[in-house]
Amino acid sequence: MEKQNYQYIENPLHVTRREFITIGGIVVAFLALPAVWIKTVTSSNNNYIKARTKGLYQDDEKSAVRVSHANKSVARYYQEFGGEPLGHLSHELLHTRYINRTKGLS
Amino acid sequence: MHHDKTILKHPLSVRIFHYLLILSFLPLAVTGVILYFKPLSESAMNLTMQIHVVCGVVLTIDAVAFFLIGFNRVVLFIKRVFYVSMNDVKWFAVLGGYPQKILLRQKVAVPPMGKYNSGQKLFGICVLIGGTVLIFSGWVLWAFPHLAPREAVAMMGTLHTFFAWVLTLFLLVHLFLGIYMFEDFKSMILHGKIPYEEAREMSPLWVEKELIPISENKS
Repeated sequence: MEKQNYQYIENPLHVTRREFITIGGIVVAFLALPAVWIKTVTSSNNNYIKARTKGLYQDDEKSAVRVSHANKSVARYYQEFGGEPLGHLSHELLHTRYINRTKGLS
Repeated sequence: MHHDKTILKHPLSVRIFHYLLILSFLPLAVTGVILYFKPLSESAMNLTMQIHVVCGVVLTIDAVAFFLIGFNRVVLFIKRVFYVSMNDVKWFAVLGGYPQKILLRQKVAVPPMGKYNSGQKLFGICVLIGGTVLIFSGWVLWAFPHLAPREAVAMMGTLHTFFAWVLTLFLLVHLFLGIYMFEDFKSMILHGKIPYEEAREMSPLWVEKELIPISENKS
């Protein structure tokens, strides 16, 4: 605790109840604005994600081949040329390496 | 009559808030300027950004904690800084008499002020609005840029830069005058108290209207 060796303090009642509620209400309302904005942005983002997900499921339902290992072209590549999946030749041909391209963008 | 008597101007809660503000905002301002001009190597710039982020988190915790714990003082602060009268116009006309006092060693008549003078009120408004915008935009830019629309992120960046410059430039004036007013400096940094006579000269309206005496032995 502070050692009290002063003779005057501020009057704690300098703000009336009406002023406290008014000012406090305005502050809270202003701080609520970003909250409303965040909710709008998030929900619009979610709407986009939901629509995208629905579209992908529709595409899947329409597709005859839905997974890569059932793809006849891929199967033929491994049978006639690439050997086994994750094999040496496939690794050499299909594996990509990470290159930082962000410097070129800025 | 009131010689040697003191007033508690800055309570402990306010001083702790201000200590954390110093610890967070000063590095934020320095690293912010470095991030703006980008004078260092890539690794040094990364380190600068990390310091900027850590200090931003400290500043956020400080501001939110004080807002919740000391909400009554926040309300009081808002009431004071947004209360404008003709005295403020007259104060700005002579700039509080500081240029005359510092540069010409002349004393000019200054209208009576409350706890904060008009310059401090303007600074307070900038800190209140600018600080809120800086904290909010800083978090969006750092933690949630992928959640906000690209245009909104760009606008946040512009607002962040604008208010950062306003507060950084104001900070230089605040630091100078804060140390120049040495009793107030000691009050905020050390013990929270200010001599009655000094307060009566600097903040006559505050002394006259807002202070109450307390009994000597009350703890």
